[in-house]
Amino acid sequence: MPETVLIVGGGPAGLEAARAVADLGGRVVLVERREVLGGTPDEANYAALTPHLGSAQEALDRLRAGVGRPEVEVLLGSTVTACRGSVGDFTVTVSGPDGAGREVGAGAVVVATGFTHFDPGRETQMYGYYEFPDVITLPDAEKMLKEHRFVRPSTGEPPRSVAFIQCVGSRDRRIGNEYCSKVCCGVASKEAIEIRRLLPDCKVYIFYIDMRMYGYWENQIYWPAQEQYNVNYIRGIVTEIVGKGDRLLMKGEDTTMGRPLEVLMDVIVLSVGMEPSRGTREIAGILGLEQNRYGFIAAPGEPMDPISTSVPGIYVAGAAAGPRDLEDTMGTAGAAAARALGVIRSARPAAATAGA
Amino acid sequence: MTLQARYADVPVETKQRLFDEVKADLRFRDTLYGCYECGICVAACPSARFYDFSPRKIAQAAAREDLGIFYEQLNDDIWNCSQCFSCLRCPRGNNPGGLITIMREVAINNGLASARQALEGYGRVVYKIMSTGTQVSPDMLQPNAFPDWGPHVAEISENLLLWRRALPPETLHTTSTAWEVTDRTLTELYLIWHMTGVMDMIKEVDAGLHMILVDVMEELLEDAGYAAD
Amino acid sequence: MPIPLNVLEARQLARHVQGPQTPPTEDIREKVFELEAKGEWIVQRVPEPWLPVTTKYGRIKKIPVGHTWHHKSCGQCGHIPGYSTSIFWLHRALGLDYDDPRDQTSCTAWNYYASATSNVGAQAAVAMRNFGAAYESGYFPQIHCGTSYGHYKEVREQLVAHADLRDEVRRICDRLGRPFVMPEEIVHYSEWVYAMRDEFARRRVLDLSNIDVTVHPACHYHKLVVEDAIYDPDVYGGQRTAVVSAVVTALGANLKDYSTWYDCCGFGFRHILVQRDFTRSFATLRKIEVMREEADPDVVLTHDTGCVTTLDQSQFAARAHDRKVGVPVMSESQFAALAMGAHPYRVCQLHWHNTDYRPLLEKMGIDWRERWREFEDDLERLKSGEKQFLTWEDADA
Repeated sequence: MPETVLIVGGGPAGLEAARAVADLGGRVVLVERREVLGGTPDEANYAALTPHLGSAQEALDRLRAGVGRPEVEVLLGSTVTACRGSVGDFTVTVSGPDGAGREVGAGAVVVATGFTHFDPGRETQMYGYYEFPDVITLPDAEKMLKEHRFVRPSTGEPPRSVAFIQCVGSRDRRIGNEYCSKVCCGVASKEAIEIRRLLPDCKVYIFYIDMRMYGYWENQIYWPAQEQYNVNYIRGIVTEIVGKGDRLLMKGEDTTMGRPLEVLMDVIVLSVGMEPSRGTREIAGILGLEQNRYGFIAAPGEPMDPISTSVPGIYVAGAAAGPRDLEDTMGTAGAAAARALGVIRSARPAAATAGA
Repeated sequence: MTLQARYADVPVETKQRLFDEVKADLRFRDTLYGCYECGICVAACPSARFYDFSPRKIAQAAAREDLGIFYEQLNDDIWNCSQCFSCLRCPRGNNPGGLITIMREVAINNGLASARQALEGYGRVVYKIMSTGTQVSPDMLQPNAFPDWGPHVAEISENLLLWRRALPPETLHTTSTAWEVTDRTLTELYLIWHMTGVMDMIKEVDAGLHMILVDVMEELLEDAGYAAD
Repeated sequence: MPIPLNVLEARQLARHVQGPQTPPTEDIREKVFELEAKGEWIVQRVPEPWLPVTTKYGRIKKIPVGHTWHHKSCGQCGHIPGYSTSIFWLHRALGLDYDDPRDQTSCTAWNYYASATSNVGAQAAVAMRNFGAAYESGYFPQIHCGTSYGHYKEVREQLVAHADLRDEVRRICDRLGRPFVMPEEIVHYSEWVYAMRDEFARRRVLDLSNIDVTVHPACHYHKLVVEDAIYDPDVYGGQRTAVVSAVVTALGANLKDYSTWYDCCGFGFRHILVQRDFTRSFATLRKIEVMREEADPDVVLTHDTGCVTTLDQSQFAARAHDRKVGVPVMSESQFAALAMGAHPYRVCQLHWHNTDYRPLLEKMGIDWRERWREFEDDLERLKSGEKQFLTWEDADA
């Protein structure tokens, strides 16, 4: 059996892992549920990437081009339905678009099944996502920004005031998502900048608990948003959104000014966090992987080994293991590729490797 | 967006105009970047320990352009600042104290009632500095002006003429100025007050003081060939 | 048996190995020279000889030894004249040439910070008028007041940054017939005292080894335009300005720390005049009482006008409330002069100070009764008309 790595998921993590395995001389079978490669950034219409506002489409095109080579076999419209064997010798059943099963032999598996955006209709706060068209989410905003426009969904008119609410679905014990989703502060700030660029007369507010933009994101996103684009950051969780006339009334406390707050907004963007995708939750069961309490794939060797799952020979890359930004996603994808090929090669006699 | 603030009856256009004046000051962009709302300025602020006063809120309101809070601060808060600039420890490079300097100037220029009130009892000091070029003079040490400094002030004022003569530096044998200032020097100072609009500013906030100053400055300025208004 | 710990030494060594950091700010003096090269103004050079000192981010600042133009302080000259007199006396003791000008106004910044009855243009014009006067005298400015020093550094930044402001002020200076001059360095007298401290130590005649001293660093010295203030890795690990503190140590007195060293004195510019309850409370509760509790000093030394006045005068009312006060206050120039044998009344003019300084003088070995008697004789001679003024010769008699 050649050095084949089965990669589950055709988003940034899976594409990057596939390219890396091929570059290192291995073979890849890449399984993707959708009919197109690109994963969540494609499915959720990402337009400009954080932090440099580079084109998401161009970035995905480069990732797709990286797997357009004979060493990588791409199975679209396919899902993994079963797996047997162990490290060095897995047999994975892949169900294709026609429903027919196919068995793939692989020495190692990389799980890159990613995350899904939190459903804000589920949260305990009363933000009315399913009541008010002008209450939207980060990906909803992203979709409009991709078309270079930003309007009130209810009227099609540009808004005069926009508020982002941070940590929707994150850092909440009642919801069960106690973790921070890491990227929403940066993404919201990035979208705020884009809105201010499109609509210079529109006031933009970000209501936060803590702003978390690590490392260079500080001066790449946070400071420019505040200092050049006059985005207003206000510390406090919004308690409730209600309709008032044709606008939205937002209630909360401005905790640093120490005053209660009831203000009218035209559009409110919910900064929804990350949860394990359906694919991530399902693949854990099929491959017998341990999950953490939030349903993400567990990496028991953390922090020194964020790649290995509880099953030898199966590795995890990207946001399937928990909230990750693209930098972390790309880094863990490369590391997973190296680990996967490494485990295959170390399991085989040296002579065979030399002759391969 | 505007938080609940006092002076709701003042038209928003007025607040906007005053805010725009603050923003138009050439120092503004160096006094305000973004605010972390971290509180390092408040921790270092002497006035915050004594008054309901927060340099953080001054910076925040200006950064957010919250006109209601801004106007409230312009009237109720800025005169409590000690202008010690301890708040310059800000990690973002903000200078709330410097922002307050600008706000005070705008309050004075517009003759706000609160600014006039802040200058009550202070006119003699403005008079002293503008007319003599030295802000503090020995003869200001009067017991009625500084009752909380004890009988020592009375002792100084009783012996003032003698004690001033007992100072070795020749420039210090003065009582109505801190040191001897030449007439040419004073004339130049008066010209500066006129040429930079400070006299107009005084007129706005204290017409009586303005009249006295014009009177005092007249002779030297006329000798220098400068026609005062 | 306790293990010897050399944690701090190891840290200092590691710091040394790491080497100097890149200064986070640009050197404004380079811009000052660039503007001279463009013909925008004259830069008055620091006269030889000068001493190099190190500022906050490791840059070298030139401190002129002599030939200085003394930009006096209104609060010092007006209310604590022993402060200015001691600065002059120190120059005379070292045989240094100086100019005590009459062609000088106050910087007017005390009023500006108190009442805002001025503006950027006026403040810059006052500064440049004084700098022009210094340049014409041929002497280099040494600034006595911490606020003047800090304010002039702000003015320098504003003039460098804004061509419009330069044009406005240049027009005014032209109208006044003054040259448009920026000094190469803006120098505070306490920087000169710091630079000369070993000279003073050599001339010390009193043993100060039993004198405990707390230092109040002046806000407008070290908080305004911070990169230009003097720091020394050997003084509080380079985390506080070294002026005054290093002088205390050099003179052989004991430098004592207290936890509110960073707090301002409570002066407040307007508060000392019209919101006096604030000044009194802050000076005593946050400064003097804390010093007494934690360091029990014999004297508080500081290096600015308002701080001496505030810390000294505020103690009277606090005493009536049984607060733990009663620490004499003076400038380090007065303290250094005393250490070098200066007369406490003829030179240091301590009778203008409020809080009782006599126990300090006794501890320093100064017979204040005898010195006061001498000074009263001087006053008699002045009263009788035998002499019109006390002179420098009388001061050193």
